Amino acid sequence: MRRNIVIPLGLGVGVLLVVFLPLIGGDYYVYLFALVFTNIILASSLRPSLMCGQLNIGHSGFMSIGAYTSALLAKNLGMPFEISLLCGALLAAVVGLAIGYPALRLRGVYFAMVTVAFVEVIRLIAQIWVPLTHGMSGLSGIPKPNLLGMTLVTKTSQYYLVLFLMLVILTVLWKLESSRLGLIWKSIGMADNLAQSLGVDIAKHKLLAFALGCFFAGMAGAFYAHFIRFLFPPEFGFLMATNILVYNFVGGRGHFVGPIVGAIFLSLLSEPFRGSPYETIFFSIAMLSTILFLPGGLITLPARLGGLRWQRTASAPTSSPVA
Amino acid sequence: MSLLEARNLSKRFGGLAAVSSLSLSVETCEIVGLIGPNGAGKTTCFNLLSGFLSPTSGSVVFAGEDITGRRPHEIVARGLVRTFQHTTLFQELSVLENVLLGLHLRSRTGLRQLLFSRRVFPSEEIALSREVLEFTGLAADADQLARNLPHGHQRVLSIAMALAARPRLLLLDEPVTGMNLEESARVMSLVKTIRDRGTTILLVEHNMKAVMGTCERIIVLNFGQKLAEGPPAAVSTNAEVIRAYLGEGVEHA
Repeated sequence: MRRNIVIPLGLGVGVLLVVFLPLIGGDYYVYLFALVFTNIILASSLRPSLMCGQLNIGHSGFMSIGAYTSALLAKNLGMPFEISLLCGALLAAVVGLAIGYPALRLRGVYFAMVTVAFVEVIRLIAQIWVPLTHGMSGLSGIPKPNLLGMTLVTKTSQYYLVLFLMLVILTVLWKLESSRLGLIWKSIGMADNLAQSLGVDIAKHKLLAFALGCFFAGMAGAFYAHFIRFLFPPEFGFLMATNILVYNFVGGRGHFVGPIVGAIFLSLLSEPFRGSPYETIFFSIAMLSTILFLPGGLITLPARLGGLRWQRTASAPTSSPVA
Repeated sequence: MSLLEARNLSKRFGGLAAVSSLSLSVETCEIVGLIGPNGAGKTTCFNLLSGFLSPTSGSVVFAGEDITGRRPHEIVARGLVRTFQHTTLFQELSVLENVLLGLHLRSRTGLRQLLFSRRVFPSEEIALSREVLEFTGLAADADQLARNLPHGHQRVLSIAMALAARPRLLLLDEPVTGMNLEESARVMSLVKTIRDRGTTILLVEHNMKAVMGTCERIIVLNFGQKLAEGPPAAVSTNAEVIRAYLGEGVEHA
């Protein structure tokens, strides 16, 4: 962790740039970066459960729950955005607890399969429950987000809203990860039986990490609903779930900034292909090249490049002290 | 009353009886050795006692309470802590962090502290961890990554982590495996010091010199059953035990 003083600094400069983006860039960039921030929330909120060693390929399902809940509450009941956003996030977390409680007893690929099934079930519910969600015609007419009674009419104001939301969520996640709780997540991911032998209730911690991620995914979904103002069930399918996972792998799983870097990098690069079949191909290639050439993800790239120069001197094997 | 009592403990994996109707007891402040040839059921026995496996039949009573079928973390909370033969450390964490995790049950970190405290760990937890490291002789390695420690220190660290959990009974699974004479002597004297501070010890070990020199009582397992039990001198001259370890000399001659 000591070696990464540069990264938070770089992040600080990046945040400054991002704050003034609406002044320099046009509407398109505002719109694009609002989506990038949504993706950052999604990717980072998956991290706690990934740290516990749980491969969740159903994160977009929780985003979908947050999106539909918030949109329907605001549209049908005229609920203010702050409250509908919280309701969406809470419902996503509650569903997360309900799914996670039985599923987290499974390990590795078996758990992953449950989450895949889950995301498809949620998509089908959104598709079939026509009276409520309008099914495949899509849910339209979602009100714009409002704060303290004021509607955020422009995309720029909504951009600042999601920027603020993202910073709050990232701060919370960072605080949790760098606390004792984060150490527990890491320990469960590294050796769950050893963690258990030190008194860690691994079932409880896995479940809480999972539900925490669902909560923030629901929040991202809620913002998305009021930003795009149109929801279409297949959007939140398996494909988006794998993309969220790929952000984490391509960015790197070893550090908090991994999913952030991954989400920025991939969202921007995949922008020309968004919605086309090439998007899948692009993400597959990104994932495969990461596995093959940069297993630690993009965050290890600077060290890798620097390491090439040092390799010859530093590769002397450390002898084990055998007397 | 014994601190730990296993009554007719059995564990079957399909047709294989890894442990069958094993009864053993450990008194407060004893050092007991559990030995036996490979595959005798020693580690299975540890897993049963610490809740990592639930027995097919039989029960485990710890400090007067039936803990059969309790989950591992609940058993740790009652003061029965174990170490592992293989996964002994969180390799990618620092030595200090490893011990801090051992403090898990004693930590009272609330949500408010998680979100708003500037300090990651309360200073008393750091102090307690350093105390444990000092006691086990690892203080100088506190900031190293666990995987960078030499093997001997890694094994000691796993004991330090268990100690941080403040055990009443410590189960050590092969604490001196792969160590040279000097290292294993040092660990064994550490084990005695831990006992002198009031922690009861049950250990599995293949290094006979270490076992014979440290344990006050030895239980020998073979094919999941108790073969012999007694003080080291009696066990090491027991004909049955010698046969189990060396085989039937006559048949193979």
